[in-house]
Amino acid sequence: MENIIEVKNLAKKYGSFTAVDGINFSVQAGEVFGILGPNGAGKTTTLEMIEGLKPMTSGEAVLDGHNVSRETRLVKSLIGVQLQSSSFFDALNLKELLEIFASLYNRKVDAMELLREVQLDEKWKAQVKELSGGQKQRFSIAAALVNDPKVLFLDEPTTGLDPQARRNLWDLVTLINKKGKTVVLTTHYMDEAEVLCDRIAVMDHAHIVAMDTTENLLKMPGLSTIARFRVDKPLVDGARLKTLTGVTEVEHEDHTYRLTTDNSEATLADLFKFGREAGFKLLDLQLHQPTLEDVFLKLTGHALRD
Amino acid sequence: MRTLAILTWSAIKMFARNKQALFFTFFFPILLMTVLGLINFDKTSKIDVGLVLTGPPNQATAQFVGALKKIDFFTIHEGIETDERQALVDDKRAAVFIIPWSLIPGPSKVTVVSNVGNPQGAATALNIISGMLDKTALSITGASNFFNVINEEVNTHHLKYIDFLLPGLIALSVMQMSVFSVAFLFVNYKEKGVLKRLIATPMLPSIFVTSNVITRMIVTLLQTTLFIALGVFIFHAHVIGSYWLIFLIAVLGSIMFLGLGFTISGIASTVESVPPLANLIVFPMLFLGGTFFPVDSFPAWLGHIAKYLPLTFFSDAMRSVMTKGYTISQISNDLLWMFGWAIVMVVLANITFGFEEKRQ
Ligand SMILES: Nc1ncnc2c1ncn2[C@@H]1O[C@H](COP(=O)(O)OP(=O)(O)OP(=O)(O)O)[C@@H](O)[C@H]1O
Ligand SMILES: [Mg+2]
Repeated sequence: MENIIEVKNLAKKYGSFTAVDGINFSVQAGEVFGILGPNGAGKTTTLEMIEGLKPMTSGEAVLDGHNVSRETRLVKSLIGVQLQSSSFFDALNLKELLEIFASLYNRKVDAMELLREVQLDEKWKAQVKELSGGQKQRFSIAAALVNDPKVLFLDEPTTGLDPQARRNLWDLVTLINKKGKTVVLTTHYMDEAEVLCDRIAVMDHAHIVAMDTTENLLKMPGLSTIARFRVDKPLVDGARLKTLTGVTEVEHEDHTYRLTTDNSEATLADLFKFGREAGFKLLDLQLHQPTLEDVFLKLTGHALRD
Repeated sequence: MRTLAILTWSAIKMFARNKQALFFTFFFPILLMTVLGLINFDKTSKIDVGLVLTGPPNQATAQFVGALKKIDFFTIHEGIETDERQALVDDKRAAVFIIPWSLIPGPSKVTVVSNVGNPQGAATALNIISGMLDKTALSITGASNFFNVINEEVNTHHLKYIDFLLPGLIALSVMQMSVFSVAFLFVNYKEKGVLKRLIATPMLPSIFVTSNVITRMIVTLLQTTLFIALGVFIFHAHVIGSYWLIFLIAVLGSIMFLGLGFTISGIASTVESVPPLANLIVFPMLFLGGTFFPVDSFPAWLGHIAKYLPLTFFSDAMRSVMTKGYTISQISNDLLWMFGWAIVMVVLANITFGFEEKRQ
């Protein structure tokens, strides 16, 4: 697949502070690419340099074959942008706003159709300040779509939304991606990255610390699954748990056991077999599979959100 | 071009839907005009009458003049004909009486020059004085022969306070609207990230600025028209000069203060800091800019400062055209100064104001 975005040695310095330190990555046409990282990692700065909003200190970004620094206006016409915090004019309704934004691209837009796409058609007469958080974000996405962009940039589209509004927005992003638009988004939610992104770049302290498909990141060696369960009677041969395939650690407290494994499938098969042979029942079996949180912890040695 | 048209139309809609802006742009000045227009600053207790004697008076004439001077609601100014006529043209006399040195009823002609711009004053003077002349004639000749009173009317521009106020009020309102509507709006846009969202599109910042400038020029012309209409129809103000010139001055004044508005937008980082910053510059001009008081009534040192303020040139140009009917060449000094100020403000605006964040 062709690369629609190529970023080479991109860096941004604010005085002596380095916000983005020579990062490299590329985004393929049609994929959802996520940049995951804690506050202050440099996600927004990276995005805004690629969008032509912030001058780069060094390095370059090429979007659809156009150098962002040299052909800034052309690049801006090819992309749709939702900023981390942006607002719109007061005193105009949603329909008027979309029409104005279309005119900034020298285009005409069917504003009502676009509002329908983001489920705001009934609100067309409202002003932005009258919308809920989730509605605001959906409108913001609609405004980013007025020019039928090739790439859609979303900077923390679901921060501050309730779970239902988040899920609603994920559906919208998936829908937009299915229509063939490349999506680049930033987030600090792993579940969001897991659900939405084909590939993820994990960013921390101005650097990309890992970049791969979501699947591969979760299969990273050294990440373990934890199985927790209770048993209906005391285990006579508890030490046997340690010998089950994949198990690296066993902890227990009364009837509750906690197994750490790096091969959950094999461990579970062995565990059920052990139970049948020793005549005990497994109660409340819970599996905690590795998340991006674990990936992040593993990579950086600190938690994503603190 | 289409983009500019759509942006301008939207800016007009936004202006029209902003109740606060409408209040300060239109209703507040009207309120001010009403209050100041209702207070009668024009109550002149005495009627100024000019008296011209064609020669050293004989006894009868001297008696007549003596009697005239005793009427206490007249202020009698004696002088030679040319001076008195000029004084009347300058609206300093309600009427001028030209009286022969020897008052002989019959052959003696008394000429009355009355100020049409001040009809009440002229009529009062004419009534009383012709009554006195009749009595004098009666006492001299025992009726029958009266003085030959010739009434001559001269058009002057009788200036009332409203005539002084109106041009200044227009200049002041245009200034307030231009400075505050731009500064509040653009600082708000800057603070809330609206400008950043706009430059994420291929739009040129200059187009957006232009659309807002055009909108405010339209508002300026509306303000000027509305205030003149109210001044003329309700407060009977006089507008003598060319309306084209009045509009030209208004637009030039607006450019000057829009430049100031954008400069403030560039300097202020929050909406809260707009009023103190803007008032620091605008407030002194409210008093020193010649809106409510003539600049030449200030103490000399203050007058020297006041006379170079942008608003002073603006209201002076307006006033010269509206009340004196000056032409473009007669106000060229004011216009040049306004032009100079406009350039200074626009250059400052270009230096301070930008769409990009300052912290780069
Ligand atoms: N205009 C600026 N001037 C100076 N420093 C800045 C500026 N903008 C951002 N920074 C710094 O650069 C670093 C990266 O900021 P950035 O906004 O890219 O982080 P982020 O990953 O988007 O964080 P968040 O998740 O909180 O949005 C931060 O430490 C921030 O303080
Ligand atoms: Mg950010």
